[in-house]
Amino acid sequence: MIAGMDVIAEHDRMKDVAHPLRIAGISRPADVTFSFAGTSLSAPEGENLAAALIACGIRRLGEGQDAARPRAALCMMGVCQQCLLRVDGRLVQACLVPVRAGMVVTAT
Amino acid sequence: MFDVAVIGAGVMGCSTALFLARAGMKVVLLDRGAICREASGVNAGTLTMQMTRAALIPYALRAHEMWLRMPEWCDGGHVLATACPGLSVAFTEHEAAMLEERAHFRRQAGAPIELVTPARAREIEPGLSERVIAAGHCPIDGFTSAYLTGRAFRPALLNAGVELREDCAVQGIAPGFVLETAAGTVQAKRIVLAGGVWLQDMAAWLRVTLPIKVLINQLVVTERMAPVMRTVLGVASGLLSLKQYANGSVLIGGGWQGIGDRARGGLAVKPESFLGNVRLAAHAVPALRDARVLRAWLGLEAETADALPAIGPIPGIDDAWIIGSVHSGYTSGPYLGKLLAQAICGQAPELPLFPIDRLLAQEKAA
Amino acid sequence: MSYDIAVLGGGPAGMAAATEAAQRGARVVLLEESAAPGGQVYRAPPSGFIGPVDADRRAGDALRAALLASGAELRTGCRVWGVGGGPLVPQREPAAPFRLDALDSDGRSFAMEARALVLCCGTHERIIAFPGWTLPGVLGLAAATILLKAHGVLPGRRVVVAGAGPLLYAVAAKLLKAGAEVAAVVDLAHRTEWLRALPRLAARPDLLAQGLAWRATLVARGVRVIAGAGVTAARGDEVLQAVQVEGAWIACDALCIGHGLVPATEATRTFRAAHRYAPAEGGWVPVLDADQRCSVPLLYTAGDGAGVRGAAAAPASGRVAALAALHDLGLLPDHAAARVAPARDLARAAKAGGAMARMMALRPALVRAIPPETIVCRCEGVTRAEIEAACADGAADMNQMKQFTRCGMGPCQGRICGETAAELVGMHCGGREKAGFATGRLPLRPVPMDALLGEFDYADIPVPKPAPI
Repeated sequence: MIAGMDVIAEHDRMKDVAHPLRIAGISRPADVTFSFAGTSLSAPEGENLAAALIACGIRRLGEGQDAARPRAALCMMGVCQQCLLRVDGRLVQACLVPVRAGMVVTAT
Repeated sequence: MFDVAVIGAGVMGCSTALFLARAGMKVVLLDRGAICREASGVNAGTLTMQMTRAALIPYALRAHEMWLRMPEWCDGGHVLATACPGLSVAFTEHEAAMLEERAHFRRQAGAPIELVTPARAREIEPGLSERVIAAGHCPIDGFTSAYLTGRAFRPALLNAGVELREDCAVQGIAPGFVLETAAGTVQAKRIVLAGGVWLQDMAAWLRVTLPIKVLINQLVVTERMAPVMRTVLGVASGLLSLKQYANGSVLIGGGWQGIGDRARGGLAVKPESFLGNVRLAAHAVPALRDARVLRAWLGLEAETADALPAIGPIPGIDDAWIIGSVHSGYTSGPYLGKLLAQAICGQAPELPLFPIDRLLAQEKAA
Repeated sequence: MSYDIAVLGGGPAGMAAATEAAQRGARVVLLEESAAPGGQVYRAPPSGFIGPVDADRRAGDALRAALLASGAELRTGCRVWGVGGGPLVPQREPAAPFRLDALDSDGRSFAMEARALVLCCGTHERIIAFPGWTLPGVLGLAAATILLKAHGVLPGRRVVVAGAGPLLYAVAAKLLKAGAEVAAVVDLAHRTEWLRALPRLAARPDLLAQGLAWRATLVARGVRVIAGAGVTAARGDEVLQAVQVEGAWIACDALCIGHGLVPATEATRTFRAAHRYAPAEGGWVPVLDADQRCSVPLLYTAGDGAGVRGAAAAPASGRVAALAALHDLGLLPDHAAARVAPARDLARAAKAGGAMARMMALRPALVRAIPPETIVCRCEGVTRAEIEAACADGAADMNQMKQFTRCGMGPCQGRICGETAAELVGMHCGGREKAGFATGRLPLRPVPMDALLGEFDYADIPVPKPAPI
């Protein structure tokens, strides 16, 4: 377990390294703002919502005690249903919808 | 040589076999597929007096008690039976009149159904639509998870000494009750036909003509969702059954018809029925609009010419018995099997059986 | 809406099938769930995103351009949830048309009819359960490809890439190029497996060269490649922090893991078409003739959904299926001549694709190694121990196991857990053939009730005759 503790510490050091998750060399539309669980975020308009959340450092998409939680994007192709969220009140799979200005995203 | 061969391992066959074995008989229970894999495992699990035919209410009341206490008499086996109030609602004057008439007959048969105002109905079921104009309330309804039925019965059957032969289709019955199967013959002193919609074919093995109509019932289940209801809900016509399980999923039924037949089973969901059924559900509980539909499936229900059960001896053939075609049969199933077992053991059953002489006579007259 | 041919799925097979049929004068509709056709390998970036153009992008653009010019009707953002009609309508002469129910891009449900149906539903990824696989930060290899190539987003900063098949090296190379650190590539295949596959890969020098280039990138960047090994556990507080390989923990903030591809057979199962278990092609696949015909009249499947052979083989199989459909509908006088070229292309491409598919076949040892308390079905929280307890209680096939445990009853409908669960059931009941597969059920994907219902009055509901009292 000592070795395990070391790697966790290494992970924490890694967090400090600023490194944008959006890949350079791609021309993207201008950013728009939207919210996730009450936090304001920005992403290029039209970017896939599941990808945008990952790029914003948000991995956990559903909290809770039951066995089906937490959830996080797994397949990115509409199959696994693990990225199910509410967008403006409606249930959607984050990996199937684009980011739009002002969208209000919450956990289910 | 077995004392009894029960053909068909649905809830009727399992219950009959279990109580026969406990009465000391050597029982073999055969099914062409797996235990409780047809109607008994795929029905809506509704335990409600308000969809039960009036003539069956005394049986359903006793069976309701059995389902709730299943672990006590079934060696711990259970189907997550849950007691809750039941409501049958009306949206139109015509339905309100139907509700009143039906509640009257069922009350006479012993079901504690009272008519309540819409306001009272919404106290009982806060999820109920504002559009309800009348409701029947039965405090002792409930539901089960029908898919657990086979798993619930299996250990008790084995403990009782029943020889369970799954995937063992009976192909015919030769004189002396010699059952022909792909794996050889099985002989018994008595037989019980418990084959659901396939009772017609089984009766034909004994040269008995018993017409059985096949209903192809559709069911729909939603994804888990936050609590939207807490009763078993139906409409006056009986064409809706609605309940929310502890895990949050809502089961929508009511006997809307899909595509299928006796030979091939349930084949396909009929889109018109699917849409009508879910619209009726959302009309009754508007919060269902927020759900996602996860799965629809089909189950085959058997019905006799007069829509009353076929339970009793087969006329003209000693030691041959039949059980099935019980409207909302899952609700009453375990009790009816127990009754038939009593009759087969030579006791007087607690409540009368439903002998099939009437159905055969009608057939001859026709 | 009524068509000669409906094509379900707009990947390379579907695009090619629709193009071929429309070019030959049939009334064709192509239904695709994404905002643009392309499928997973040739997925188009979102509108307004312009990135570097690679070989896959060029291949996808060519298929898209041909489709747009063909006259086929293209419906994107269209989620088909219902398939029916055709052979499922008993005793109808002539055969009833197929019926498709779908949600349009605005989320409204609509229905359409077609005389023939070509299913090009592709695959989904097989991910065999392991302790910690439900941690946020763990995602599929195919998912990583989509994230990197279509969305231009890295799954993490320091990534472990694990599993089987050529995607491993594609993803690792792409991650490096995009600026991520690749902590390790963990390949279930030993080097000897790759060497054995080489002769078949030689049929496709372009793919072989690509694979060698990926490997060269990894070597140049000093990435650790652990061959003949797998990830045995993942752990982290809230999100992934490390994965275990050969007993040692490797720190990472993302794990891209995939154990092969599974043909999507929901629709053919719904039609009760005959299937066979073909592990080298990804698992259960529909039984097809040489022209991609299913056992059900006027039903065809093409692309990886018919058995995994790779994106390069998909367009040819789509064309073969479309030509057969046209012929069976009486719309193609000289079928024999027309099919020669696509059938030859298919045979050639399938050879290399088949070698890769074999490498991505399910590895039973992975399933045997799953600890009992590990969750197999994420949707319903069902563990290996619970599945095995159900088997001990008499569940002898997938349908019965599903009933006994709820495994596969959740929103993914068993697509993610199905392979692991079936292997576990098979271990108890005598193999995958005996374990079978869950009966196909509608809807094909969860459907929002709101979209189905629309606006209606009570009087619009065709309530049947009441049951007798």
